[in-house]
This record gives sequence, structure tokens and C-alpha cells, in this order.
Amino acid sequence: MTEVRPLSLLCELTYRCNLQCPYCYNPLDLDGYRDELDTATWQRVIGEAADLGIVQLGFSGGEPTLRRDLGALIGTAASRGLYTNLITQGTFLDAARIAELAHAGLDHIQISLQAPERELADSIAGTVVHERKLEAIARVQQSGMALTLNCVLHRNNHDSIADVIDLAVSFGVRKLELANVQFYGWAYRNRGGLMPTREQVERGLQIATEAKRRLAGQLEIVYVLPDYFENRPKACMHGWGRAFMTVAPNGRAMPCPGAAAIASLDFENVRERGLAYIWNESSAFTAYRGTNWMPDPCRTCDRREIDWGGCRCQAFALTGDAGAVDPACELSPNHDVIVALRATGDRHPTLVPRRMREAASAL
Amino acid sequence: MNADVRPVFERGVRLRTEDDGSAMLLVPEGAIKLNASAAAALALVNGERTLDEIITAICTRFDVADSRARDDVTTLFERLRMRRLLVLP
Repeated sequence: MTEVRPLSLLCELTYRCNLQCPYCYNPLDLDGYRDELDTATWQRVIGEAADLGIVQLGFSGGEPTLRRDLGALIGTAASRGLYTNLITQGTFLDAARIAELAHAGLDHIQISLQAPERELADSIAGTVVHERKLEAIARVQQSGMALTLNCVLHRNNHDSIADVIDLAVSFGVRKLELANVQFYGWAYRNRGGLMPTREQVERGLQIATEAKRRLAGQLEIVYVLPDYFENRPKACMHGWGRAFMTVAPNGRAMPCPGAAAIASLDFENVRERGLAYIWNESSAFTAYRGTNWMPDPCRTCDRREIDWGGCRCQAFALTGDAGAVDPACELSPNHDVIVALRATGDRHPTLVPRRMREAASAL
Repeated sequence: MNADVRPVFERGVRLRTEDDGSAMLLVPEGAIKLNASAAAALALVNGERTLDEIITAICTRFDVADSRARDDVTTLFERLRMRRLLVLP
């Protein structure tokens, strides 16, 4: 068996956030993650990641800039030669903070936008943030640091894709991710209100494809397809336990940020175990690694080492069995579940805003 | 592609060489695996060397014809330029 080595670690520093986006993929029980890892533990984990051969580090959350030790953690990562990405909503990026993070060795910032214009953006975020984000984008551009804009697409903002692209062009950023919402955590809870229509999805792809051609060499556009509307599943995380690790704010280590929802798995905590043990030997990371665990028809499918059986979190959420075929695949015996969920894009249920304390009532 | 452009990486793009000699290009939220000749060409990118100098060095190092090295290197650089990872001023 060839060695499987992790390339990327996502450090979810905190699930605290001042925004209330209903499409957040964080778990619903946010209140259960208040006991956050301290600085020294994160620094040990980052060192273990470098020892394990990881090359890419992401700092995310929640809102990672709420952690005052972010600069120190970036510094630790940079001293070990790791490439560092900050995934932020940008509302705390004043000039001093940008300078501090750049000085610590930060390589790249990704700022999320809710929509291209203020009224819609602020209504999605549940608070007044859009203007501050635009200011942060301008400041990061001015600093010269690599910047990516990201916009999660759903029914309420899908029709403004062209304006999002124009906004990215006007700031001169290098990369724009247009990511159709994936249904995990709060987004799964709110899928009825977030599901785009097929018309939106098809038109969005058309606009993005045309813009990609027109702006080649100026703006790289990544359009993330909505797998509810595809016939084959996405290669989620490039395969379970094949390239990615996530550590949640409370220290729980998982093969992907959504995996906490899989109640049938037992995840180790970095407070008690080293990353190497967790990657190589823990039951959660080895459970769906490779192809031996696969049911039919995945087992004999010629795409089994392309999509790696799709997404385990989605299989669990929709069938109750994390080892089932991803229902996004048209060959899944449960594909009709996905087909039925597409139709919820025709309804308009109320969205539940992402909140720390009211999670229990949202359930 | 003009022979005297002096390629330089965009901010946030770094070449990383492993202990076993393999190399990858680290880019925003990603890593591009490189074969030996691509890694050698990118290792010469510093904003000072010209495209021609890089091609000549690759010809010598890998014992390939100039036209072949020119095709390979310009294709690689153009691909990276289109993704805004490399500047060809």
C-alpha cells in the first residue's frame, strides 16, 4: 500500500462569529465548543502537522481573527515552512491587524462576501458588515498580500453572480470562488430556504463559464458545482483521510470540517493524542480510507479512485449510514432522496440565523 | 512569449522542495505537484533571469533540444500566468 500523507490541516480556532449566515457549515451545537484549545496546544499541533509532512495550513472558524493569538500561531507555522491561509469574513481586518499578520508570515487571505451589494449582504449576514468588508478588501489589496474572494451561492443571492464577478474585477483580486452552498451544519438545517432552483444553477454556470473565458489571465474564477444537481458525487476532501485533517476549536480531529455530525464515529482529541497517531491509526480516520470499505456499486465502479465514494457526511445525513453510497450519485439506491430535496428550492421556508446560544431551539 | 521577460512569482506563491528531491508549488489553498523539469525551471525563477536564460539552463541540465525545452517551459509559465501565479513582465 502506498503511503497516504496529509497535505493540509484546517485549524478551526473558534466557532465564535459576529455574523449569522444561515448557510454556515459549522455544527448546530456551537455552544458545545466554547472550551477552545489554548495557544500552546495549537502551537504543538502545528509542529506535529509539519512533522507529519503537512504543507498547507488554514486558519478558520467561526471567525479566526477573534483569537488574539492568531499572529503567534501564524508565526509558528511560518517558522516551520508551512503555507498559511486565513479564511475570514474580514470585518476585523484593520490596517494594523493586516500588518501584524503579514509580519507574522501569513501567505494568503480569503475574504467571504455574502452578496455584491450592501442591503442583500447585510440581510444574509444578519448584521451590518458589507461596507467594512469592502474596506478590508481594499486594505488587503493595498498591502499586496495574495487575496481570494469567496461567495457562497444560494437561492437568495444566486441571481447576483454577474455583479459579484464585477466587484472582484473592480478590486483587481486574483481569484474568486463562487461556491454553491453545501448542505452541512446550519446549511443542512436551512436547506429548504437555501436550495437554489435548477434555473439558477444552470444560469450561474453559464455566467461563470463565460466570465472565466473573458477574464482569463486577469481573474481566476472557481465555480463550485452544487452536488445536489449533479449525477455523480464530488470527490469530497479528495477522499476520506487521504489529504485533509481538521481540528475543531475543542481539539477534536476529523477528516473534514463536517464530520462531527457523524454520530457513529469516535473522534480523537489533540489534547490526548498526537496528530500522527490520529492520522495513521485512529478508527475515525481509517474507517473510510481507500476503497476497501466501499459497498456496491462503488466497490467495482471505475470512478472509485476519482470520487472516492463521495461524501461520508452526506451519506450519514441522508441515509443514517456513513458507509453508504453518497446519495448524490445516481447509482445510489437512495438517490431519490436527493432528487426530492432539489424540489425544496421551489418553497420559501424561514431561514434560521446561525447563533451560539439559540442553537438548541433551532434544532 | 518574449525571450527577455524576467518571470517572477506573484505574492503568495512558493516553491517547496522535499527531502526526497520532489517539489511542489504552494499556492493559495493548494499545492501543485511538479515533475523534475518543471521544478528545475521554477527554481530558476527569481525576477532577474530571463526566459531565455532559464531555457538554456534546462537544456543543459536535462540534455534536451532547445525547441523542446522552449515549448515545455513556455507552456508551464503560460499556464501559471493564466492562474495569476506568475508574472511575465
